[in-house]
Amino acid sequence: MNTVNVSRRRFLQSSTVAGGGLVIGFSLTSCSSTPAPLPMARAEGSWTPNAFLQVLPDNTIRFYTARSEMGQGVTTGLATLVGEELDVNPLDMEIRLAGVHEDYVNPDFGMQGTGGSTSIRAHYLQMRQVGANTRALILEAAAQDLDVSVASLATENGFVIHGESRRPYADFIATAQTLTIADDATLKPAAQFKYIGQETRRVDAIAKATGTAQFGIDVDVPGMHYAVVVRPPVARAKALSVNAAGAKGMPGVTDIFEVGTGVAVVAESFWQAKQAAAKVDVQWESLPLEAVNTGTLRRDYTAALDNGDGVEGPNEGDIEAAMQSATTTHEAEYWAPLLAHAPMEPMNAVVRIDGDEADVWTGIQFPSAVPGLVSRVADIPAENVRFHQTYLGGGFGRRGTPSHLVEATEIAKVTGKPIQLVWTREDDIQQGPFRPASLMRIKAGVDGDGTLTAWDAARAGADISPDTFRGLLPALYPWMGDGFVEGVANLSEWYFEKFATDEASTEGLFEDYDHPNTRVTHMTVDHELPMTFWRSVGHSYTAFAKESMIDELAEAAGMDAVAFRLQNTQNSPRLNNVIRVAGEQMAKMSPPEGHYLGFAAHHSFHTDVAEIAEVSVEGGKIRVHKVTCVLDCGQAVNPDIVRAQMEGGVIYGLTAALYGGLNLEKGAIKESNFHDYPMLRMDESPVIEVVIIDSGTAPTGVGEPGLPPIAPAVANAVYKATGQRLRSLPLQVA
Amino acid sequence: MISFELNGQSVQTASDPSTPLLWVVRDSFKLKGSKFGCGSGLCGACTMHIDGVAVKTCITPLAAVTGKSVTTIEGLGTPNDLHPLQAAWHEHAVPQCGYCQSGQIMAAAALLDANPQPSGDEIDAAMAGNICRCGCYPRIKRAIESVSEQGLAYDAMMQTEGRA
Repeated sequence: MNTVNVSRRRFLQSSTVAGGGLVIGFSLTSCSSTPAPLPMARAEGSWTPNAFLQVLPDNTIRFYTARSEMGQGVTTGLATLVGEELDVNPLDMEIRLAGVHEDYVNPDFGMQGTGGSTSIRAHYLQMRQVGANTRALILEAAAQDLDVSVASLATENGFVIHGESRRPYADFIATAQTLTIADDATLKPAAQFKYIGQETRRVDAIAKATGTAQFGIDVDVPGMHYAVVVRPPVARAKALSVNAAGAKGMPGVTDIFEVGTGVAVVAESFWQAKQAAAKVDVQWESLPLEAVNTGTLRRDYTAALDNGDGVEGPNEGDIEAAMQSATTTHEAEYWAPLLAHAPMEPMNAVVRIDGDEADVWTGIQFPSAVPGLVSRVADIPAENVRFHQTYLGGGFGRRGTPSHLVEATEIAKVTGKPIQLVWTREDDIQQGPFRPASLMRIKAGVDGDGTLTAWDAARAGADISPDTFRGLLPALYPWMGDGFVEGVANLSEWYFEKFATDEASTEGLFEDYDHPNTRVTHMTVDHELPMTFWRSVGHSYTAFAKESMIDELAEAAGMDAVAFRLQNTQNSPRLNNVIRVAGEQMAKMSPPEGHYLGFAAHHSFHTDVAEIAEVSVEGGKIRVHKVTCVLDCGQAVNPDIVRAQMEGGVIYGLTAALYGGLNLEKGAIKESNFHDYPMLRMDESPVIEVVIIDSGTAPTGVGEPGLPPIAPAVANAVYKATGQRLRSLPLQVA
Repeated sequence: MISFELNGQSVQTASDPSTPLLWVVRDSFKLKGSKFGCGSGLCGACTMHIDGVAVKTCITPLAAVTGKSVTTIEGLGTPNDLHPLQAAWHEHAVPQCGYCQSGQIMAAAALLDANPQPSGDEIDAAMAGNICRCGCYPRIKRAIESVSEQGLAYDAMMQTEGRA
């Protein structure tokens, strides 16, 4: 079999480049030359030097943030980057969430999207350059206006300083508009940073603490009606018959009709719509998925691994010979279940169609998809679709799938009313898209001195990328007919099943340790459940398998778990250093009687993280008391937000490690809400200590890398506490 | 018609008395700070105060607040006049996505009103009804403790500002 790996990044890049038109890189249009007008507020007398900044006559500095704020602190982070070079305190800026425009493309994706822990890494130089260029122009204008040299001027938080005089940037915007902006103003050396690396607060904290931050669900437009969709218990089943007689006359109900994903119920209020939806009786078609129960997944994955006929990924050295000559070999199998994302804000969108124009309000990770999708569904030109980004009440990958936007558009089109579509929590837990379940089998060989020589890893399960691609494809290629879209989507599914490994499926399973003989095999087993990226994607399950296996191997080799890791990560110096620092932290710890320490380390999204979990097991219950997280993410643009992301990653990962798991019964998800799909709560939340290693390099990801090590760190501690090797998630002691 | 007090103002509504208070406040009175998270009283995103007690309003019928006093996050403080907890939320950089924070703050405010200097376990118990998927719990706890440490000062402030 061929060995091709397609990463999420390359995948998105090539898909956009093929579509034409989107620019990758730092080139920016300006107001006058761009064919599409910038979706920015028109403020009287203001100056708009580029797609990101506006200086208002009262010296308000507006910053349009192009990445989606889903809690990861990207508005603060990007404002810090631009503010550093513009010399404006990010907390003094007015933050706006950007609409859709080619200037807002994520250089890492080639499209306007937020994910993959890319934002700070991908925009580190770009945003600073935008700030530096703008400041340089203001200084040039000031020098002209004041008839002095640029060299005699300085700036201080939005003011131009000349001798004793201190004048707001806004004083010079009239002249600035007559000048041409340079694209290569000099950036500050790190030693001069005023905001980058400092413990600044978040720009969105006050809005979010006072209930004034606007999420998609908070949007309210005149005449707006509310819609819910009655959905099939089994994914993608179509309605055979609909009996809405019991719902039609209910208070406030205005419309009931079929849409692509079920039956829409529209009413004057959400509550009325939800009540009426419960009275709609639908007969659904029967699908093969109905034959699938929870046990089916693992049984079919086991059969696929036993069969061994998969797509080969990396294959280096001679794995068979290496296993034969190894002093110790060990093999184990690890399971991770199907998961829902369960962001606190259920999926929702507001769509208003007026003639051949539309307004869309929603919080979404891939704004690039909005105009194309709405255009296709509503049959209006894409350039007539105005997108209004809101805050995202949690993303975790879930808000990269825009099916709720399609539904809202369909309903707005049919009813002619402005529509707010809201998913219920039950829809959210049961309908997906999901984090796929995975069965992973690793066999490894170690020589006499504890050196890893062979690593043979296989994963069976559904692929992540094709479904996400299927959702975005119609948006990215508005010119493709529906049949063509379906054909291309099917082709991508086939491609990953037969020809190439979807990198998201196996990422993290084999990269971190030095084993000269490596073989990776992937078996796509697809039961037709919808899948997508879930915080840390493949790493969310591969780290559990890999880091549990490493612990087992260390024991088999009679070595200390940290020493074994250090010895076998010589080719990954940054990871090695993180393991070393975390190991030193662990050596100093003296947990109380009955508490045990577990260690795990993992590289993901260009960042290296090690975690130490302090765990006790009492009465069969695993309790995580403390987590110490050591990481190297390069320059921490905002160290407090880095800590918050590690805390969040650990808690999101702990919820999955201790509780997460969806069950299937006749193809339908059994769990429905937080009573049977529980979340970690404050009384179970550990103390979390974060140690950031300052390596002085450029920033790498932080939104996701805190998650992968936590499940194996806890499992490794549970082993010490009980002698039980837990190889299935969620972790349950016998 | 059902009458009650909403953030200190007398209000009336003709909404169906069985409608959960959350939706009346959000859709009729257009106060969007209180959130819908689960619809089953399991996550606390919809928490408001009813006569000073933290209540999950996605399962509280409108009829139950007849003649009572309802306070939402909008009534607790504003960006220009922050409640001490809201100031602490900013100071400790508590919110991430922010969606659950109105409910978290309302639960915390009710706790401190009833028990100005709660122990760590008492904070855990009082806040266990509020889910945060971003994992802000350590910071929520720290922020509550920081306000609690100013316990007496907090009491005094509540009284002088007539918020208690």
